[in-house]
Amino acid sequence: MKKPDQNENNLKDALFKRIESEQVCPKSRFFFLCRECSVWLFWVLSVVVGAMAVAVSLFVVMNRQYAFYEATHDNWLTFMVEALPYLWFLVFGLMAYFATFNIRHTVRGYRYPAWMIVGSSVAMSVVVGVLLQASDLGHVVDNALGTHIKMYMSQEKMEQKLWQAPAEGRLLGQRVFEDTVPSTTVVFVDVDGGRWVMDVSELNERDLTLLATQKIVRLIGRSSDVDSGRFYACGAFPWMMDRAMSLEEMRYERDMFIKRMREHADEIEIRAGVPERAELVASSTNKSVCASIQSVRRMPAKEADR
Amino acid sequence: MDGTPELPPSDEEIVKLTISDKEHFGVLVDRYQAKLTRYIARLGVRDPEDQSDVLQDIFLKTYRNINGFDTSLKFSSWVYRIAHNEAISWYRKKNVRPEGHLIADGEEVISFLSAKEDAADVVFDQGINAEVLNRALLQLDNKYREVIILRFFEHKEYDEISDILKIPVGSVGTLLHRGKKQLQNVLNTEKLRI
Repeated sequence: MKKPDQNENNLKDALFKRIESEQVCPKSRFFFLCRECSVWLFWVLSVVVGAMAVAVSLFVVMNRQYAFYEATHDNWLTFMVEALPYLWFLVFGLMAYFATFNIRHTVRGYRYPAWMIVGSSVAMSVVVGVLLQASDLGHVVDNALGTHIKMYMSQEKMEQKLWQAPAEGRLLGQRVFEDTVPSTTVVFVDVDGGRWVMDVSELNERDLTLLATQKIVRLIGRSSDVDSGRFYACGAFPWMMDRAMSLEEMRYERDMFIKRMREHADEIEIRAGVPERAELVASSTNKSVCASIQSVRRMPAKEADR
Repeated sequence: MDGTPELPPSDEEIVKLTISDKEHFGVLVDRYQAKLTRYIARLGVRDPEDQSDVLQDIFLKTYRNINGFDTSLKFSSWVYRIAHNEAISWYRKKNVRPEGHLIADGEEVISFLSAKEDAADVVFDQGINAEVLNRALLQLDNKYREVIILRFFEHKEYDEISDILKIPVGSVGTLLHRGKKQLQNVLNTEKLRI
């Protein structure tokens, strides 16, 4: 049996022989430095991409057109299901995982508890994401992806898809100044290039002013026959996707939308014979088409009616 | 001469010397060979030839990565970590599970019993001998056995175990606590069997 000392020497000798024969050299300090730097770099990258996901999610959530959800969806819930940016939530989740993985693989990363590592990475992404969104980067990224990647459904593409739906009483486009007969009609060209002769007799001053700007607008109304190219307009609202909108502006547009739809809803009361509206009924030359459009029917009851 | 005996160089100092002259690495090999042999045996590398191979791999890896040694760690923690990883990859390579081997000898059981820890009380209260304790330890989940081995048989502090196993210090405490509970359950079952 070998003595312990002999064993020790055997191992040491064998080890040094291997070091010599295999020409084993210590890896350079630079190698370890690079490895540590690359792990941190990947962490920074994960946090930045995560922050972009937060920025775009914020942009999408804040700019989904809540103001007009009754025009496009049956209720707020179905609207939200479609509005949430799941892809970006997934990207954010993945980036949070990668960030955590990278921190764990730094020299001292294992010393910190998981909640601290996950929490700090997520918090960093959220804070940076909010700052990026404050400088409108979410909008820029969403737009750029939408322009360059056909498959990517940007906020703008999504809104266009929702609002360029004449059969469902929604149009997106701009007014063209041409002489038309009767004078209560105007010519409107939608974003797909379709020409519409539009009855504007139920539009109010604000709607007409908006149309006159010749900017892209959203229209709510009714198209009895899409092929006929005739559209009955019940409200015009700004497009709002060409610039960042503040929450106040969105709130204002929502108020305007509700007010507009309620005005049409009042026509139902008129026809239902509400006595105090009798004189309005008398002055009304034709029955309101707008009173029966879907957006009006979806309007919640007024506080006073409840 | 001031009469103060000169202390031997620390491991960390020898690491620095090794970077400039590999001959110094022999000192580290001398210091850790016995400890690591015992440690990898406890982790499941029982055959002396296998032990020798694994030890060579451990020291080669240590030498190769000596520039990556983080001076905020103890060298012993670092080399134990390498040993732990090498032992695990050894039995993964061999496609075997760590199995019956002597984790503690009689002397260590006495030391374990004298430790002021709950687990020691459990063992002491039940008048457990080395053989029963070894059998019980072998039945523990790997993650619990690893921390119990490091804590009670390699006498490592929590932060050292944290550095060896690359887990947070808090998790070391949790694993030890759960490990002790599992040990208690296993010992109760063993006792019934006896």
